[in-house]
Parts: sequence; structure tokens; C-alpha cells
Amino acid sequence: MSGREVALPRGRTVEVAEAGEGPAVVYLHGIADIHGASFGWLPFHEALAERFAVIAPAHPGCAGSSEDEELESIDDLVFHYLELFDALGIGTLRLAGSCIGGWIAAEIAVRHPERVERLALVGPTGLFVPGAPIADVFWETHPADGVSFAGLRALLFGDGESGIARDMFPDLRGDIDREVLRYKLFRFASRIGFNPPYLHDRRLARRLARYRAPALAVQGEDDRLVPRRHGEVYAERFGDARLEVVEGAGHSAFAEKPDAVAALVADFLDA
Amino acid sequence: MHPVQLFHWHFMAYPYLPPDFDERFDTGWVTVPNSLWDRERTDGLYQEYIDQSVEAAELGYDGLVLNEHHQNIYGLMPSPNIIAAALTQRTERAKLVVLGNLLPLHLNPLRVAEEYAMIDSISGGRLIAGFAVGGGPEAYNYNIPSPQSRQRFWESVDLILRTWTEDGPFEHEGPSYPLRYVNIWPKPRQVPHPKVWIPGSLSAETMDHVAKRGFDYFLSSRTHGAATRQARERFAEILKRNGDTYHPFRMGVLLSVYVGETDEQAKEEAQEGVWYFLKYCLKGHLRRTGRTLTFGPGVPSQSVRSWQAYLENSTAGAPMLGDAEDWEELEAKASIVVGSPATVREKLWELIEQAEVGNLLIQFHFGNMKDALARKSARLFAEEVAPALRERSADLFARKYPMLADRPAASAAE
Repeated sequence: MSGREVALPRGRTVEVAEAGEGPAVVYLHGIADIHGASFGWLPFHEALAERFAVIAPAHPGCAGSSEDEELESIDDLVFHYLELFDALGIGTLRLAGSCIGGWIAAEIAVRHPERVERLALVGPTGLFVPGAPIADVFWETHPADGVSFAGLRALLFGDGESGIARDMFPDLRGDIDREVLRYKLFRFASRIGFNPPYLHDRRLARRLARYRAPALAVQGEDDRLVPRRHGEVYAERFGDARLEVVEGAGHSAFAEKPDAVAALVADFLDA
Repeated sequence: MHPVQLFHWHFMAYPYLPPDFDERFDTGWVTVPNSLWDRERTDGLYQEYIDQSVEAAELGYDGLVLNEHHQNIYGLMPSPNIIAAALTQRTERAKLVVLGNLLPLHLNPLRVAEEYAMIDSISGGRLIAGFAVGGGPEAYNYNIPSPQSRQRFWESVDLILRTWTEDGPFEHEGPSYPLRYVNIWPKPRQVPHPKVWIPGSLSAETMDHVAKRGFDYFLSSRTHGAATRQARERFAEILKRNGDTYHPFRMGVLLSVYVGETDEQAKEEAQEGVWYFLKYCLKGHLRRTGRTLTFGPGVPSQSVRSWQAYLENSTAGAPMLGDAEDWEELEAKASIVVGSPATVREKLWELIEQAEVGNLLIQFHFGNMKDALARKSARLFAEEVAPALRERSADLFARKYPMLADRPAASAAE
């Protein structure tokens, strides 16, 4: 475990990574991310940590966090995070999240808009948009011909053959510890996001208007996991939000264009 | 006497795939387009398969095995219960083994309890009730989250057994299937309930669940004698820990067999169907080429610890059963037994002797195998292989498991 361990009720523990100084930002991770496919911080997080105290918990069952057999839905997860905030003594907060983490952040914000001062989402899943479904990332975890994860990389990155894509999701089999780290992430994601297919809650879209504080949605221009329309709907339905599209990036824009995305997110959270 | 029980298993494959199937499609499961379904040629297909099963019952097989698969070319039985119901009307003595209903795919376990009770009742108590979780493709077919599916599975199993053994109405308190009124009509014919078989692929956790409930274990991987013996030893140990004792009828194993007049003829006749089965039906399931959906992070039913153990004990991209390139390789894997009656007798006897397993569940029809060949193979087996296996196994089991003497004979063939 690289971060500290925080105890929650029912015997659960959460691994929380922390870096930087300044106003606190809670960052909820996604797939090609810390606690998802990387044990440590990525350049995006390090750039954020130059201006904020970044607090990045691992989702239940991910990295060093204990698995919760009772976790079945996004609602369970919202309560999990409320309990974590209580344990950390966090009242109001700046909240950021990527991919699945963006979905969770949005679900927290619509339930407790009074606690979330500013909300930044990068490539968030979470919405059901008729005719524009989130792609099946689970399917792509089954390698083609038993060896190739090109399909998975193509969903998660603008350039699936880039260095970072191949480093996080190498063909054949990588280091076993990292394989296990990724397995944990998908096992967690499957609990809350395999049904309905995939990674969304149909009720979220109609609840977005409840969140009226400033929100920012960021999407890579070539996001093949989450269609662009999802970023647009987030921006349209939140009370006060805008969408920024990052060129030369796909779903994991924060990993592919760390400086540009960190600047967007940091400037927004700092305003 | 307690001879080995010989079951005839029909998977009911889709037999009319185009010759360029392998180049055009990366899986025979879930997304294999059903535009390939040939409405005219499939007229009478189910009847042909049912007739093969009925003939097996007439040849004296102890039971007929069916199982559940969805949206695939490997097995055209989304509801094996429908086929079992048909077989109740055309057979008299053979056990009907549904192996099994995939419980996490059913909205409500009561429906399974009811349908199985109906089959048992209609057949005069011939049902062997199988329950299974379902593999990776089925998770995609019905969008079943894998991490929770085992827990839901065992809740369903326990509820079904309660419906069969306790008088209703009673309340089931959940958590996954809370029901205020549980009170099924009909009850099953067999008392206290039909035998329960649970398939597994060596997981000690599954064996432990099976042992705790006094069920029987079925090893679902096509495997050879040594691996089957290992499975038996593990299961026997787990039974013992649970205060129970192993005997050969506590376990079953899946085999694939083709019998011809001679070794050469058997190979010649089996070849088209066997390779169709391996290259097409197993594509997406047990073949490296294409996309194997059966296990992996996308269908993470295994605990993290067991996934880690799998990674540590396997090689990425290792060939599977469907990757065999020629007969020599197939024979080395010993997963599919093809040969003359003498050859098959010898290989199966080796397995029985080594593994001491009493239920052999045998696949006779492969992929697009012609009706006449599938029937002939099952007939040659029944006439020239089965008698010796029965006789020798009865001796072996009586010698090694004297406790069987107190057990009523179960064979439909006697």
C-alpha cells in the first residue's frame, strides 16, 4: 500500500494516496489511472498536487482498499464516500473524478450539492444517452487471440499504441502485480457498472439539475469509450457547467495530455 | 452391484455454419450474428437431436444430459427444461439430467424450483437437478455482474432445496430474492428431493459448497485420468472434512467420445464433426484464436486471490482445447477419445480405474456430425464398450468401496 489506510464502519479500509499542499481536492480515479492501472501518481496528478492537497482514495476492492461484498450499486458507493469524508473530517470539498470516478463524483454532487463547492469531471461515465451507449470496456478485457489488448487500448486512449497506453495495458501478460491491480479495478467496476450495460445509472441525467455550483466536464476529442454527447449532456443539465474538449486525446485525456488537462482542471478548481 | 453410470450428453450444436466462418467471426458466442441461422435447413433439427437422445435411452444409457446456453452456436438449448419435458414423453427409465439451469440468469429461483418439480413429477421421479452459475459468455448474454453471481447462485440453490423439502407457505428473507410467499405446486416426485449435481472446474470453494450440502460434484472440464483423479482426491478430502465419505457416485466427469469400427475408420468419420466442434463451437469459449469470453477481468467471478493464483500458474496466450491442430495433439490432451471399441474401452477403463469416478457423462455428437454417425457411435459404445466398463467397474467399486453394498442399485440398465 502506497498511501495511508483509513478505517470505515463494517470493518472496511480505504487506501488513500495524498500529495501536495493547498486547498483540498478529492480525486476519484478511473481505469487508466492511479489505483486502476497504475500503483502510483501519474504526471496529471503531480501537476494538480503543485496547487492542491490531492486526496485520492482507491475505490472498494481496488489497490489496497478492502473489497465490500455488500457493494451492489452506485447508491452503496455514494454512502461509502460519505463515510470516507466523515472519517477524513471533510465537510465541503472540491471534487474531481475521471471515467468511473467522474460518474461517482457526479452522483455525490447531485445528492449533496451543498457539500461540493466545485466539480470537475474528466471523461465521466454515468449517463444513459439513448442511441449513444458507453462502449463495452469489459468485453475488451478479453484479449484478441489470447494476446492482444489493442481493442482495450483503443477504447481507453486516443492513440492506443502510444507509450502510455502500451505501458498500462501491454499485450500478453504484464507484471503479475499490475495484472492483479487491473483485475481488482474491473471486478469493482463490474459490481456497479455491468448491469445496466454499462457504467451508468439511468436516473442520473434527470438529477443533474440539482447541482448548481460550477462544474467542468473535460473530454478527449477521440473518446471512444464515452461518446461526446455524454459530456454535452453533463454540461447542459448541470446548473452551471461547461464542456472542454481536449485535442489529441481519447478517453483518458488526463493521462494522455496531462499538462493541458491539469491546467484546465486546476484553473477551474482554483477559481 | 454398482456399475459405472453411463450418460448420453447432447449439446445440440448449430450445424450449418458457412465454411469461411473461422475467417469471418471471432467468436461463436454472444455476438455471432444470427443472420447465419438457416430457417429451412433447421426444420427438424431439434427433432433429429431429440431422436438421438431417445435412441440412447433405448440403447440402455443410464441417463440423458442436457444443459443451458444462450445466444451461441455451441448449444441450442436456452431452455433445457423444454427438451427435458419432451424427453419425459419418449423415454421410460433413463434419468433426465439437466446440468444445469443457470440460476443467476433466472429472475426468480422459484421458476426453476417449479419447472424442475414439474419435470420430476411428469417423468415419475427421473430428474437429476443440476444448478450452474454460467460462464463468461452467459454473463454478457444476460448482463449478469460476475462478482455477485456466486453469492446469488448459492442463495438460489438453498431456496430451491427449501421449496422441495419444507412445507409452505414460508417466507424467504433474501437478500437477493426476498419472497413473502414460498409455496410451490407441484412438489417434486422424489423424496426428499431430486439428486443435485453441481458442475465445477476444480475450485475448492465450489467443492466445499457441494460437500456441505451433501450434493454431488461434476467436473466440467474435458480432462484425462490423472486430472480427474486429482479432482476426486481433492473432493474426497473436502467431503471428509465435512464429515462425509467419497464414493464413485458422488462425482461425474464430462467426456467426448467417438466410436468407429476401427481406429482409422473412427478418425475418418469423426473428423468433420470434431474439428467443426473444436474450431467453431469452442471459438469464444475454449480457443485462444478469436476472443475467449469464458473467463477474465471482464467477467470477474473469481476472487482476487484465485485470479492471482491463475496468473501465477498459467502462461498468457497458452493454447486451449480448441487450439489443437491435429489428431496427435488431441490424443495427447486425451480430451476427446476417438477409436475402435477396444481403444475406447481401454482409455475409458484407464480413466475409471485411475479416477474412481462413477458417473461418465459422454458427448457423442460433435458440431455438425451427421445423424447416422452420431447414432452409430452411441450404438457401438452401448453394445461393445459399455458392458465391459459396467462389469469391471462394478467389481472395482465393490472392492474399493464396500459401503456401496448398503446402497440401492440406481442403474436404469439393470
